[in-house]
Amino acid sequence: MTGMRGLSVFISDIRNCQNKEAERLRVDKELGNIRTCFKNEKVLTPYKKKKYVWKMLYIHMLGYDVDFGHMEAVSLISAPKYPEKQVGYIVTSCLLNENNDFLKLAINTVRNDIIGRNETFQCLALTLVGNIGGRDFSESLAPDVQKLLISSSCRPLVRKKAALCLLRLFRKNPDAVNVDGWADRMAQLLDERDIGVLTSSTSLLVALVSNNHEAYSSCLPKCVKILERLSRNQDVPQEYTYYGIPSPWLQVKAMRALQYFPTIEDPSTRKALFEVLQRILMGTDVVKNVNKNNASHAVLFEALSLVMHLDAEKEMMSQCVALLGKFISVREPNIRYLGLENMTRMLMITDVQDIIKKHQSQIITSLKDPDISIRRRALDLLYGMCDVSNAKDIVEELLQYLSTAEFSMREELSLKAAILAEKFAPDLSWYVDVILQLIDKAGDFVSDDIWFRVVQFVTNNEDLQPYAASKAREYLDKIAIHETMVKVSAYILGEYGHLLARQPGCSASELFNILHEKLPTVSTPTIPILLSTYAKLLMHTQPPDPELQKKIWAVFKKYESCIDVEIQQRAVEYFELSKKGAAFMDVLAEMPKFPERQSSLIKKAEDVEDTADQSAIKLRAQQQPSNALVLAEPQPVNGAPSPLKVPIVSGSTQDPDSVARSLSQPNGTIGNIDPQIPSPDLLSDLLGPLAIEAAPEAVSTDQHGPIGAEGVPEEVDGSAIVPVEEQTNSTELIGNIAERFHALCLKDSGVLYEDSHVQIGIKAEWRGHHGRLVLFMGNKNTSPLTSVQALILPPAHLKLDLSPVPDTIPPRAQVQSPLEVMNIRPSRDVAVLDFSYKFGTNMVNAKLRIPATLNKFLQPLQLTSEEFFPQWRALSGPPLKLQEVVRGVRPLALPEMANLFNSFHVTVCPGLDPNPNNLVASTTFYSESTGAMLCLARIETDPADRTQLRMTVGSGDPSLTFELKEFIKEQLITIPMGSRAIVPAAGSGPAQPVAQPPSPATLADDPGALLAGLL
Amino acid sequence: MIKAVMMMNTQGKPRLAKFYNYMPVEKQQELIRGVFSVLCSRPENVSNFLEIDSLFGPDSRLVYKHYATLYFVLVFDGSENELAMLDLIQVPVETLDKCFSNVCELDIVFNYSKMHAVLDEIVFGGQVLETSSAEVMKAVEEISKLEAASNSISLVPKSVSGWRGR
Repeated sequence: MTGMRGLSVFISDIRNCQNKEAERLRVDKELGNIRTCFKNEKVLTPYKKKKYVWKMLYIHMLGYDVDFGHMEAVSLISAPKYPEKQVGYIVTSCLLNENNDFLKLAINTVRNDIIGRNETFQCLALTLVGNIGGRDFSESLAPDVQKLLISSSCRPLVRKKAALCLLRLFRKNPDAVNVDGWADRMAQLLDERDIGVLTSSTSLLVALVSNNHEAYSSCLPKCVKILERLSRNQDVPQEYTYYGIPSPWLQVKAMRALQYFPTIEDPSTRKALFEVLQRILMGTDVVKNVNKNNASHAVLFEALSLVMHLDAEKEMMSQCVALLGKFISVREPNIRYLGLENMTRMLMITDVQDIIKKHQSQIITSLKDPDISIRRRALDLLYGMCDVSNAKDIVEELLQYLSTAEFSMREELSLKAAILAEKFAPDLSWYVDVILQLIDKAGDFVSDDIWFRVVQFVTNNEDLQPYAASKAREYLDKIAIHETMVKVSAYILGEYGHLLARQPGCSASELFNILHEKLPTVSTPTIPILLSTYAKLLMHTQPPDPELQKKIWAVFKKYESCIDVEIQQRAVEYFELSKKGAAFMDVLAEMPKFPERQSSLIKKAEDVEDTADQSAIKLRAQQQPSNALVLAEPQPVNGAPSPLKVPIVSGSTQDPDSVARSLSQPNGTIGNIDPQIPSPDLLSDLLGPLAIEAAPEAVSTDQHGPIGAEGVPEEVDGSAIVPVEEQTNSTELIGNIAERFHALCLKDSGVLYEDSHVQIGIKAEWRGHHGRLVLFMGNKNTSPLTSVQALILPPAHLKLDLSPVPDTIPPRAQVQSPLEVMNIRPSRDVAVLDFSYKFGTNMVNAKLRIPATLNKFLQPLQLTSEEFFPQWRALSGPPLKLQEVVRGVRPLALPEMANLFNSFHVTVCPGLDPNPNNLVASTTFYSESTGAMLCLARIETDPADRTQLRMTVGSGDPSLTFELKEFIKEQLITIPMGSRAIVPAAGSGPAQPVAQPPSPATLADDPGALLAGLL
Repeated sequence: MIKAVMMMNTQGKPRLAKFYNYMPVEKQQELIRGVFSVLCSRPENVSNFLEIDSLFGPDSRLVYKHYATLYFVLVFDGSENELAMLDLIQVPVETLDKCFSNVCELDIVFNYSKMHAVLDEIVFGGQVLETSSAEVMKAVEEISKLEAASNSISLVPKSVSGWRGR
């Protein structure tokens, strides 16, 4: 190791290099030199080889790629003398990765060293295996390593290495440690006297119990024994006592192992352990010596974790909180840091919030600590401990801190402040104040979500509107305001500015003037918002103010030829509309309330927390209803919106956009043509979940009762329409219902059903977990269709609201009926539309699946490998990640399969999987219960057999994973528009009365059974 | 599990770097630079902990100690106790102090190979192997003896002088 002059000279040369360039030249020269020598085997003595290989390692550390000489390094392993062998082992373990082919060549040498008699060689070989830990090693060497570990003739030096080597092999390949026999051996190992071996063995135990604690239950009392030996009996050799503390590392490891056992059942073991814990909790003080502090508190914090894990008695818990309270105010920064971190952890586990609140002022002080690590911990803790009672204080502190916080923290800080303000607002005007302050102080860090959310609250709460408007007006007086502030105040003043009309400085023309001053300072995306505001101001000016109108028209005119399409379109349309009088009023009427939905902010935060394993706030949020949400009035259930109003575009937060959209399609897809038709009966039918039983015209008793639409038995497909009486002028089905349904599953508009009298078209818009469908029912005849009924049979996971359908469809007329869909949770079940009408005396009934399928709530999402793989790995296995080998897949070329996936919004991410026969895909699923949830999928195909594949699907929700997996499977196995189509086509011949369907009439009595039969 | 052990000087020059999961050399350098850029902006008298998820992925922790012109850094995951890791830094430092009596950066630069030997006796495959610096010393001395024995037989005649590294 020493005595290599050449190496020292080389290192000096490198040190003397004046700059990076000189260093590179020197390195290149050396590499050239080494390369030449390696080629000339004759002059290459083992000593020279050793020297060169050390140089290679040094060069590697400096950051240069050394892509040759690996063979030489590996060959040194088999050198007979120690120094060469040593360098061979050390350098190999640093330079090579486990899959390197040279390593395979060395396995035999390594094995010989392990089973050989030379202990120093054993150590070298174990170190290599432990540091590299490849699977090949694991398979061929595990038994030998096990033998070394339990051998009584081996020195502790070898055995402790064997223990850790085995751990590494186990990590690579869990079969390396055979559980059956090994549990007892493991327990015996824990009786070891040598602290070095015991420490390594305990590390091994931690890895084993984290995998399977049941198999190692016999080790539990042994861990407690170790703790007693160390902590109570202080039975430790001097060299393992660290500042008077008996081997802190071993104490920590033993307590860590205990945290992998769910509980401790044996009362005497439990008692013994609690005695030890009590001793640790009581006997640790903050002292002057930093190293001693670290060691003693390492043990103490581990003890705290163990106490939390064991869910100890209340008394011990409050003792822990008291200790933590002490820690967060000590001078020693490390202990303060860990004190804050553990308090946050404790919040999640137990109900100690009230005790922690006592330390609130101290925690707030930590927010001003010079150390950013501590500030972050304090922020996390404040965020976690916030509730209705202290939200005002905490949020105000956060706001204050925002102006001085470093940039790297501001975004997180403002997001957290916004979320807390929303969740725990004692009153909504305070919430508005907070958000506006936030925008004012840190506009750059306030994401759009935050200002969208405040707009939603203001829109949904009438009491708040004048207040918000006057606040927004106040901020406009400031000299330089952030663009986001311009956006939010422009929006609010456009909608509610007229509520301030009587106040000084708030007339429409004054509002226009002050807003228009900001226009030259804002960027393109803000201008459309300002234009909408101007239009609204103009509309609210009653009686019209010709002066203002002139000014605003001038602005519209100016932007008529703007290069930005959005701005141009708005300018042109608003200008034209503003000449239209009443229509102008209608179009620009106040925005309707937003449907109640989960805050995208909170969702975002929860997503983050789920990964960060900090769900304290979530847990508590479930226990404490948020005031803010209570205050917000819920959206009336399908409260037949005035046809004059702009339609709600569900899920849109881009409010100004929706105005624009509705403007560009003035004949929007809304409203019932015939509002006076719906009878109260029908309404109640629609609302009642058992509507089908109450439906007066249900033909369930008729022997030709309604049967499944394009249901499971394929023969039935054609019989979706059943004439009540067999008449010659019976109904003729046009097209195939199943085919139409499958087509609509992949697109958003088209024909759902058609027969000789009626055509039902569908048009859908999906956003997040909301959907808005419009059913277009057209009468093809010259005589009216009567007794028209449309009932929705909703599956449990969907909330569906169908606007009432008129009883009669006039000749050659079309009625539209909007259907609001909300997805509650993942499911593949499908809603059914029970549609019936009378033509003449002929009663026709059809049960149609509504294409509100799982994939409609998916949003395409393309991930990069940096985004994909951490998420993929984070999903550890069932039930979140499920795998299945699917057979009987219809053969598809890979690009076709990718297209299929993309068509149902599961985006294939090309190039992510190194194997070209595999597909990796991602998507976001939306439902009320899951929120926006990332889903990942991987398909491994077999090029030799395209009819089978292996599929792995993962998401953060077990039921979602299962449903999505089944959904994808269905798509892969069935042929959506294949042979099935033929059968019904044959069955739907003209005037062919459909034979008695196989489904018994009684089915129709039970909606559940009926649905089950249908699906 | 310990993910990496690093030593670098206050100019950011790596003096020792060992990663316990294989990493290509560019990635190693990127991480070393990333760690250094965070460390060099830390004031004195603050905690020894850093959040390092941005560099090493989720569930990564970093402790460091600053000695004169050197930073000693350990990166590890949530299965380790932070303060115990901080303590662990003390073990190689104490050992080196015994080896070189008052170790300084130059000792480490020129006895680069010894550093590896010492580290391998303390951290093994990402796990703590030995925490007693006396035990580590024993093992390292044994290795030195073996080398010396081997040198005296075959290498001394070939090497120009008995130059011993420092």
